[in-house]
Order: sequence, then C-alpha cells, then structure tokens
Amino acid sequence: MARGRRQVQAISARLAAAEALARVATGRSLTAALPAVLGQVAPGERALAQELAYGALRWYPRLCWVLDQLLERPLRRRDRDVHAVLIVGLYQCLDTRIPEHAAVSETVAAARALGRRRASGLVNAVLRRCLRERTSLQAGWQALPSARYAHPDWLLARFREAWPANWEALIEANNARPPMTLRVNRRQRAREAYLGELQCIGVGANAHPLAPDAIVLDEPVGVERLPGFAGGAVSVQDAAAQQAAVLLAPEPGERVLDLCAAPGGKSSHVLECQPALAELVAVDLESVRLERLHENLRRLGLSARVIQGDAAEPGHWWDGVAYDRILLDAPCSASGVIRRHPDIKLLRQAADLDGLQALQKRLLAAAWPLLAPGGMLLYVTCSVLPMENEQVVRPFAAEREDVVVRMIDAAWGQATDHGRQILSGESGMDGFYYACLVKQ
Amino acid sequence: MSKLNILQYPDSRLRTVAQPVKVVDDRIRALADDMLETMYDAPGIGLAATQVDVHERVVVIDVSDERNEPRVLINPEILKAEGTERSQEGCLSVPGYQDTVERAEWLHVRALDRHGASFEFEAHGLLAICVQHEVDHLNGKLFLDHLSELKRKRAHRKLTKQSRLTA
Ligand SMILES: C[S@@+](CC[C@H](N)C(=O)[O-])C[C@H]1O[C@@H](n2cnc3c(N)ncnc32)[C@H](O)[C@@H]1O
Repeated sequence: MARGRRQVQAISARLAAAEALARVATGRSLTAALPAVLGQVAPGERALAQELAYGALRWYPRLCWVLDQLLERPLRRRDRDVHAVLIVGLYQCLDTRIPEHAAVSETVAAARALGRRRASGLVNAVLRRCLRERTSLQAGWQALPSARYAHPDWLLARFREAWPANWEALIEANNARPPMTLRVNRRQRAREAYLGELQCIGVGANAHPLAPDAIVLDEPVGVERLPGFAGGAVSVQDAAAQQAAVLLAPEPGERVLDLCAAPGGKSSHVLECQPALAELVAVDLESVRLERLHENLRRLGLSARVIQGDAAEPGHWWDGVAYDRILLDAPCSASGVIRRHPDIKLLRQAADLDGLQALQKRLLAAAWPLLAPGGMLLYVTCSVLPMENEQVVRPFAAEREDVVVRMIDAAWGQATDHGRQILSGESGMDGFYYACLVKQ
Repeated sequence: MSKLNILQYPDSRLRTVAQPVKVVDDRIRALADDMLETMYDAPGIGLAATQVDVHERVVVIDVSDERNEPRVLINPEILKAEGTERSQEGCLSVPGYQDTVERAEWLHVRALDRHGASFEFEAHGLLAICVQHEVDHLNGKLFLDHLSELKRKRAHRKLTKQSRLTA
C-alpha cells in the first residue's frame, strides 16, 4: 500500500498529543513516539503539543479516573484514539491555564479530525460536564490514592514501603515539571564563564550547589538557544547523573569500561573530566542508541572505543585486558526519573521488576571479572526502589570474598547499607542510586 | 537481499489468490526480507507477495513515520473487524492513483511471524487499513474494487491510458 495524500496532512497540537498518548497506551515509550508525531505538527504548535502530551501522561492515572466518572458507559477497546483525545481535553480543563472555551472547542475539533462519528459530541459533553463538576470530582479523587497521587497503586505501595518518611515528597517530585539542567564541558569553559554567557542572552540560571559542572536553568529552553551547544560547550544532563563521573574519578593512564553506555551522557562526562585516560570503552546492546552516543561524542569533540554488544556476555567482545574502573549504569525501572518520563506510569508493570533485578544481577556478575585487582566498579541506577539497588548489591558483596564496599562520602543523598541514594526531587535532582565496589 | 519487481495494474497476475505458507523456512524469510527492501525502496507502507508475483500468503508492513517498525505477517487472518472508517489509499501496483475507501476501523489479527510462531494483535488507524489492503491483495483484490462502479471505470480508463503510454 502507498500512503494516501490525506494521511500526511498537518495535525493540530491536541490531536498530536492524543496520538502520542494513544501510541504510549499501546506500549511505546513517549521518547520513541513523540518525534514522529511532532513532525506532523506545524512548527508554531509543537511546544504546545509536547506540553500537552507530557502533562496528560503526568496526570494520567487521575485523568482516567475522572473520565470513568464522566462516561455513561466505558469506551470500547477500539476507541483508544477517542479515549486519548478525552484525556488530553481533561488535562487542559483541570491542570492548565488554557481558557476553558479554548480547551473545549480545540479538543472537540481534534475529535472531529479523527473522523469518528459521534466522537466530537461525546468530547464536548464530557469536557463541559468536567468543568461543571470540578469541585465534586476533586473531592472524589482526594479519597482515592491512585487518582490523588496520580501513580499506579503498585508503585505507590513500593514507594511507601521503601521510604516511609519521604514517599509523599518523592511522589510530589514525580508529578512536578523537572528543571532543565546542563553540564558544562570543563575542557571548553569554566562554569562561571558559561553562567555569564547565559546571562548575556537573558537565560536565568544558577550553579548547582552539589554538582561541580551543573547549571540549573530557571526555565527550559531549546538547546539551539544555548551558546556553543553545537560546538560542545554544554550538554543536557541532570545533576544526579553527573555524580557518576565524580565518583568514578579515573586517574591519568587508566582504562575505563562503561557498560550500558548509550546515549553516552556519563561516558562523555568521564572523558571531559579526565582527558588523559589510556582508553574508554563504551558498550551497549542497542545500535540505534549507540548512534546517539557517537553523535554526542562527535559534538563534544571526544573519542572512545564503542562496542555494540551484550554486557552480560563479555566473552563476545572483551579483549581480556582488565579495566581499572568500570561504570555499570544498569537498565532499570527508571522509577527515579518519572518526572522526566511520565509515560513510565503507564508502561511499567510490577511484573517487570523481577526480570529487571535478574538482569541487573547478571550484569554485575558478568562485569566483575573484567575489573583489575584494586580497581573500582561503580554500580548505578536511576531507580529509587531498593529491589534494584541494595538488593542487587548486598547479595553480590556478601557472596564474593574479593568485594570491598567503599562507602560514598558526599554532601548529597542518604547513605544506605552499601551505597548512596538520591530521592527524586532532592536538591532538584533525579532519583539515583550509586554503589562503589572495590576489588581486592 | 534484492529488490523485486512490482506487478502493475492491470496485470492479471494481481488477481491470483495466494496459497497458505506451509513451512516458514529460510526461503520464506528471504522472500520477506526482499519484500521489505522492495517496500522501503518504493516507498510504500505495505506489500503483499502477490504484488511481486509470488502467490503465497506473505505480507510486509511498516506504517511508522520513522520507517523502523517492519512487520512480517505470514498467513494473516482477520479474526474480528469492527466499525467503519473512510480514508484515502494508494497502492504500489496502481501508481499515481488515490481514492477514498471504506474499511473496518478496528481489527483483531492472527498471523505467523518470521520464525513460524503464531501471534495476535489489535490494529486501528493506518495499520488496520493497511492490513486490510494487503490481505485483499492475497485474495486477488485491489482497493479499486471497493470503489463505486463509476469511479472504478474512470480509474481504469485513466490507468490503462497511462500504461499504454509508458509501455
Ligand atoms: C540507563 S541507560 C544508560 C544511560 C547512559 N549510561 C548514559 O549515561 O547516557 C541503560 C542502557 O543499557 C542498555 N542495555 C540494556 N541491556 C543491556 C545489555 N544486556 N548489554 C548492554 N547494554 C544493555 C540499554 O540499551 C540502555 O542504553
């Protein structure tokens, strides 16, 4: 089949946000779904489309509950597109400053563009009723944790259990818009100098107190506006992720292995911090993500040996020479970065955790033999669930005689038995876990 | 891999009803790979084996904008179809002609994958349209057959004039 002409026409911001949502609802990540959808939107409407998609996903569990209250009978499975338009409409009515009439009429227009009979009438009726009954709806969701906190029940239960004193702050951070944080390339600029450059173009920003290269912007801006971005002066990276290079701290002449390296945020920071490495080897399973790593290294003027391979099977790619430092940034639930990837609320299932933990254990066990005696392995996740952190490191350290846990001494986060945990939102950072394991 | 020749309307071989695939072996996998290459090159969003003059029930589809979601459907069956939806379609075997066709808006589909394993999925939107369009091909049907008598005749005149000119 060839694509019909009408199938490539520009679409409105509301329709694009709904389309992105519908794609996430069928299992794709927002980062994968959004670019293609935004490509169909007129340039002036893209920022709005993006904000609507992120916002609707951020409040998704609550908005679904609200929708259930307002529908006389549930939508059929094949009405997923209508469902998505309704969710985008409810988000505008309940959580944005978009004027009510615009929220309703533009969303009705999006429903009409779906080409579904009766959809626009339904959207109109549901949104108007939502605006009329807002107060009682609000009272309703306060009483229901998943709707009130806009998280799935299983995740709420895990957060509560793991962080009895902090879980509400953590949830609040997950539901807030994250700051845009930069990492200044030490090889090119001093942080103070770059702050000056930002000030010159009217971008408000501050140095992050707990990460030596980090700058937090008052408001997000497009990277094309950042001075020197194309030439590698800065990268976009959360301050919590910037702790990896600080903790790894390789010496001149050392060999460093970065496992699960793509898209190369941490690899490139390590290279910026230590220009005199003998070598940095970056391994990742996914070639598409490795292309982004290459792109990042090129932009920053850095070089590394890049290997496409399975970190759990070093036999296929390891040359047999041990490494002085290993960074293992294990794939995880990403429960610490929900504020940046709100689609996690839909996509992640409780049942995924066992598989992730098994993979994390396998990766750690496979990496260890590659470490030279006296060398250090840094285990990292962007998760706040002990199951992926302490419960991976603890049995590993207990089973092996040659593992020495080096306690992390830092001004950020809180000590756990074997490592250090940053909870989402703490000092404006993402939720991350770090553990330093030294080989005897 | 190699690119295959796509039969052009009004070639009567497009009217052949394809046979079910008996074993999903290397030959079928190679066919699917060649069909994908042919489809991406065309460029199209779906291709049925019928269109490359192989009369076995194999379809390839990629409706993604990034062109990175290839699907291979062997012996596809539409188990359930609901609703109706009208949209504009074109066809790699009917170049230069597009028209609005009415299709089911939601499908439940079963097929074999490239390893011969059976799987099922739901489709809506462009994917649903494309699956119906390709399954039609396997049954010797073209999207033109869904048009009104009048439109079909007009399309036929236009297309045969074209093929005479380019022949
Ligand atoms: C948390 S991300 C890494 C982020 C990266 N370190 C950075 O700072 O930019 C996890 C990565 O692990 C990769 N991955 C997952 N399983 C893997 C495996 N078995 N071997 C190698 N890489 C794997 C994924 O492709 C993904 O890029």
